[in-house]
Amino acid sequence: MSSVQDKAPGGKRHWWLAPSFVIGAVLAALVIVAALVSYVWTPYPPTQMAILNRLKSPSAANWFGTDQFGRDVFSMIMVGARNSLAVGLGAVGIGMVLGTTLGLTASVRRDGILDHVIMRTADFTHAFPAVLTAIMMTAVAGPGMLNAVVAIGVLNLPYFARLARGAALQVWAQDFIQAARAAGLNNRQITLRHVLPNIAGILVVQATIQFALAVLAEAGLSYLGLGTQPPNPSWGRMLNEAQTFMAAQPWLAIFPGAAIALTVLGFNLLGDGLRDAVDPRLRRSR
Amino acid sequence: MIGYILRRLAALVLTLLAAALVIFVALEVLPGDPAAVTLGLNAAPEALAALRAEMGLDKPAALRFVLWLGGLATGDLGLSYTYRVPVAQLIAERMAVTLPLALMAIGLATAIGIPLGMLAASRRGHLADAGVMAFAQAGLAIPNFWFGLLLVLVFAVGLGWLPAGGFPGWQAGLGTALKALLMPALALALPQAAIIARVTRSAMLDTLQEDFVRTARAKGLSEGTTMRRHALRNALIPVVTILGLQFSVLIAGAIIIENVFALPGLGRLVFQAIAQHDLIVVKDLVMLFAGLAILINFAVELLYGLIDPRLRQA
Repeated sequence: MSSVQDKAPGGKRHWWLAPSFVIGAVLAALVIVAALVSYVWTPYPPTQMAILNRLKSPSAANWFGTDQFGRDVFSMIMVGARNSLAVGLGAVGIGMVLGTTLGLTASVRRDGILDHVIMRTADFTHAFPAVLTAIMMTAVAGPGMLNAVVAIGVLNLPYFARLARGAALQVWAQDFIQAARAAGLNNRQITLRHVLPNIAGILVVQATIQFALAVLAEAGLSYLGLGTQPPNPSWGRMLNEAQTFMAAQPWLAIFPGAAIALTVLGFNLLGDGLRDAVDPRLRRSR
Repeated sequence: MIGYILRRLAALVLTLLAAALVIFVALEVLPGDPAAVTLGLNAAPEALAALRAEMGLDKPAALRFVLWLGGLATGDLGLSYTYRVPVAQLIAERMAVTLPLALMAIGLATAIGIPLGMLAASRRGHLADAGVMAFAQAGLAIPNFWFGLLLVLVFAVGLGWLPAGGFPGWQAGLGTALKALLMPALALALPQAAIIARVTRSAMLDTLQEDFVRTARAKGLSEGTTMRRHALRNALIPVVTILGLQFSVLIAGAIIIENVFALPGLGRLVFQAIAQHDLIVVKDLVMLFAGLAILINFAVELLYGLIDPRLRQA
């Protein structure tokens, strides 16, 4: 442990008052609210074209300007938030449920055959970044949002498997596990009643961080056209289209990118803050 | 030690085989008829039959897998359907763009990340530290392709100093070619630089607590020499590890960045191959990317075992 500890004024610090956690929470809330509100209200219908009003700079009428078809960029970004959040949620959900299940299974008998098989398989998925999986899926089945969800989900799986296994092994070593065994519980019951609740906190923290990574990966895939398809607005593809008209209207390349960056930043900061709360020993270690 | 290397080698071969199997099943078995996927719905029956024969689809899948493995080992990867040239030749041509791009990106990321990490560690808790950590957060949040677009906006569209995209080829002269790679490499380097800065900072903070650093200071070495010669050297192990582990992220990034800047590299090749349904090229390239990531991971693990004998037991 380092001897240079952070100064804690008054000896006590409220993790939820840390500026980075507050910023993260606000940014994440902003994106979620934008996505939810977009179901009932956007300044303009996001797919409504107005060709005479194309490539406009930000103004009172179009807060973020208009694109090459005269569509309102602000409305598109609001609806695009849904897409980013949905893909992130789906991908992290797949990774978390499958990865945790595998990790917990592996932890039951440490160094058993199942443990080795599961963990080697998890290591193995490292060789396939999301974009490679998405490329294979698109080559065979054509592009679509589901590809992005599965490809990013596969990428998430080993993180949760490794984390769940490591944390579960520590729980299995505790005395209360012996007590549970003595009370006649089998491995599955112990896992569900004692191990899982004890590692849920760090899993949620990891999920927040993986969510940020998933949003980033989704943006890359939809920039390449491998993710969400038109006419559904997505931030990544908005940037791709902006590239053609960037010289005429630079704003087009600014707003969608800022939306991605702020969303990722928000969930990253949120995850860091939650980690401090769940495991104070890790505070500021990185 | 030899036993350790042999065990790792066996694991390496198994991993490569597993990767090849996954790719083969995904791209040759699951689609049913890869020739039909390549040619699309309106293909003439004769063309379909000809392509099936060329791809050897009359043979059982297991035999085709073994033949493909043999091809991978000997470098005979078959003909690209769209380009009508050997895939190996396509890869060699495109590698001349992707490899320098990746090396430039790694070079830039290290040149930016390590000094920043050292600065943050030596000024822990001060403004410089906070600045570097803010840079790292931003570098991790900003999508590299967006950063690439912003660079284009400023340095190509705005100032006109650098080309917005494309690659003139190495025959156009080293300076011209490197100029075309500068912005893509910088875009690719940003998230890596952020990660390296973070890892360097935390590794330096750890080594700065060590006795040998105190000894170095006590014997009168300047702070700069202590940092560079004693602290940094020991902090480099985790940094090199991260560089190795980040390799697959770099590959993924290169595929996107090459498309942003219209660079004729491997990433653009695989992307175009999807659009053209050229499954032969897709299969070989995905295997190349996955294989590279596996090999680099293997090298990092081996290096680790060489440095730290305790790890050889695992």
